[in-house]
Amino acid sequence: MSEASIAACVKWVDLHPGVDPATALPEPSAHSWGFSEADRAALEVALRLAEARGTEAVVVCAGPLEARRCLAELAASGPARAVLVEHDHQSGPGTSGVVLAGVLGPRHLDVDLVVCGDMSNGRGSGSVPAVVAHHLGFAQALGLIELDPGPGTLRAVRRLDGARREVVSVDGPAVLSVEGSVAALRRAPLGAATSAAMTSEAVEVVRTDPHHAPERPTRVVPWRPPPRAVPAPHEADAFSRIVALTGAMADHSPPRSVEGTPEMAAELILEQLRTWGYLARDGEQT
Amino acid sequence: MTARGAQGNEVVGPLGPTYPAISFETRMDSVEFRVHERPHIVVDDTICRDCSVRGCITACPANLFIPTSDGGILFNYEQCFECGTCYLVCNEEGAISWSYPEGGHGVVFHSS
Amino acid sequence: MTETTEFDAVVVGAGPAGAAAAFELARAGRSVALVERGPFPGSKNMYGGVVYGRILDTLIPRWWEEMPVQRWVTRRQTMLMTGHQALTIDYRTDTWGRPPYNGATAYRPDFDSWLADKAVQQGATLLCSTTVTGLLVEGGRTVGVRTDRPDGDLRAGVVIAADGVNSFLAKEAGLYGEVSADNYTVGVKETIALPREVIDERFAVRGDHGVDIEIIGCTGEVPGGGFLYTNADTVAVGLVLSLPALAAGGSRPEELLAALKAHPAVAPLVEGGEVKEYSAHVIPEAGYDMMPELVGDGLLVAGDAAAMCLAAGVWLEGVNFAIGSGAAAGRAAHAALRSGDTTAAGLAGYRTRLESSFVLADHRKLREAPHLVMGDLAQRQLPGLACDVAEAVFQVTNPDPKPGLVRIARKQIARHGLKLPTVARETIRALRAYG
Repeated sequence: MSEASIAACVKWVDLHPGVDPATALPEPSAHSWGFSEADRAALEVALRLAEARGTEAVVVCAGPLEARRCLAELAASGPARAVLVEHDHQSGPGTSGVVLAGVLGPRHLDVDLVVCGDMSNGRGSGSVPAVVAHHLGFAQALGLIELDPGPGTLRAVRRLDGARREVVSVDGPAVLSVEGSVAALRRAPLGAATSAAMTSEAVEVVRTDPHHAPERPTRVVPWRPPPRAVPAPHEADAFSRIVALTGAMADHSPPRSVEGTPEMAAELILEQLRTWGYLARDGEQT
Repeated sequence: MTARGAQGNEVVGPLGPTYPAISFETRMDSVEFRVHERPHIVVDDTICRDCSVRGCITACPANLFIPTSDGGILFNYEQCFECGTCYLVCNEEGAISWSYPEGGHGVVFHSS
Repeated sequence: MTETTEFDAVVVGAGPAGAAAAFELARAGRSVALVERGPFPGSKNMYGGVVYGRILDTLIPRWWEEMPVQRWVTRRQTMLMTGHQALTIDYRTDTWGRPPYNGATAYRPDFDSWLADKAVQQGATLLCSTTVTGLLVEGGRTVGVRTDRPDGDLRAGVVIAADGVNSFLAKEAGLYGEVSADNYTVGVKETIALPREVIDERFAVRGDHGVDIEIIGCTGEVPGGGFLYTNADTVAVGLVLSLPALAAGGSRPEELLAALKAHPAVAPLVEGGEVKEYSAHVIPEAGYDMMPELVGDGLLVAGDAAAMCLAAGVWLEGVNFAIGSGAAAGRAAHAALRSGDTTAAGLAGYRTRLESSFVLADHRKLREAPHLVMGDLAQRQLPGLACDVAEAVFQVTNPDPKPGLVRIARKQIARHGLKLPTVARETIRALRAYG
């Protein structure tokens, strides 16, 4: 058994939240709490990866204690451990991502691959995979639609805009997020399902320490690049001023294709943004 | 009977138009189905071609049996109530293979 | 090597019958698995609206304090309807709005989950999302069930099939004779959202009081009936339709339902509401005459699986019969396990228990009633005749003098193509059936 294991992170959500058609008020469902298809696919991927690498899979959920029974039923499908991090999404210390990162990190579970579902039915921000990756210092491969769980370097396919696809290779510690179609979670064998129905004790409950957890952000705003200042046109007549303002007759740099390392690509993008005036050059004030 | 609800027309009762009827699609959209990839009901419509009754077409409450122009039956299991009407009214041996969906799948009622 | 899991008893189906059976077995200290194919109990179930809860007295003291009720039925109506007329018998009493109550409307996913949870509290193991695919049979006797899970054999001393109207288990065990569509109806229902205050106003009820209306004459050419009842903030309206007639063509269920909703007696009650859920389910309509053998070697059948649904016109009941039969099955299974004889002979106490309770007593007494209700007279002639008589009685015909009641009755009976001896004979038949 190798040391680092593979974690599937799942979120306990209302799978069928209702809306009262007469009042348009949301109605939480009484019986439909569980885990989304994407989260179930994440667990299946974690199980397959663990089998291919001869390591253990663990399923982790940050949520209230009531999630324990559902998590036990989910965990009957085969992960070696199931951990419920007791956490209140609304008022708990830190966000789910931060709390999960704390448990997944070297002081606790010490995993080297984290698999999440890419969409949550819980109307969250969708930021958990990125936040976990950031806190653990892992690479990210998010929104995967295909994944080869074989041993060695992971190869996966990501969905891009405009029906494009990107093939990514994942080496070393990483956070993956998968769509629900990537894998169907295997069914729990009858014996395991029966045990889970009898008791949820197989699920370890971890309580986060409110004193050591990072503060929740008090205000979250989207980042927008600063506007580029365009000098007023000096041309004499209105037509010329319009032409100058719209840049209709100006020369445009044609699109170019560049091949290179990710670092090089990032540097080229930054340089172009500086050229256009969206980013300040070093030492310059925006 | 004066209603023509299935086509989504206005329902006209003896008192005149009373309320807009919902389309069949809207009606079925109100129901949750956790569809499994494997069909739990399979219709062998080579048998249906010889059937003169075809009770399934009018009786299925989910309207899942659609006659095709070439005399067959088009069937889709995805929005099935799992009620059993179709196999009970079917008088052609072997035309409908009926079972329940895999555990946890299929129709899920919430306010019925 | 297939791993098997063993229990004293396995109950298939966590509806009211299965939950009651598991409850009684667990209460008696037996290990019992309650296996449900839906993601939660009640997720596959719908009905015509009323739970008569007194049968719960034996299981859960003061059940009314915790049962998930939409409204307590304090107003019970039976409506005879033609295309443009309606004659309603309307009974109301606030007594039914106080303990121990009479009937309650409830959502089946809520009610069934609650009752199954009661069984779990007694110690039963509720296993959801698990479809039973067949019986395990050894030497001609049932020794468990096969589920669709990996390593999915579940062995047990007794299997209780509470697997609903289609009961493939009872059929597999050969307990059913020939299965005919004639014995079945299909129920379709819309749950329609309306603000609580609007329901209170339209149905003239307050608080948690509600209305249940059974309707006959609202199904066009298809024999059947209708129902309309109030939940807290929804109204449910539905139809029960004979399968063979529906299959014979003409009308589709939702078309007939739309026509009922447009009827002048119904439209003002439901209009403006939005359909929150549409549902359908098959009903074992023929009662006593379609019941299977209730006991096999190692096997008991309860609830709809045993056709214990009472569709007798003025009485439309099912959940109470399911609970009654389920509880009896649980007790009989426990007794058989204690005596060490779970063959059909050892389990025969089940039938005796049912015969001495309302479950089979009502069904046997009313065995003619379903046929009468679905018959030509009740379906085609009675609603029109009753409505026309009412119209002739209540319509003021000035300047003509009033006709006498006897003359009205004679005239209308003749107008409806009936003969007095026929009416007399059918009345006696009905009195016998319902006596």
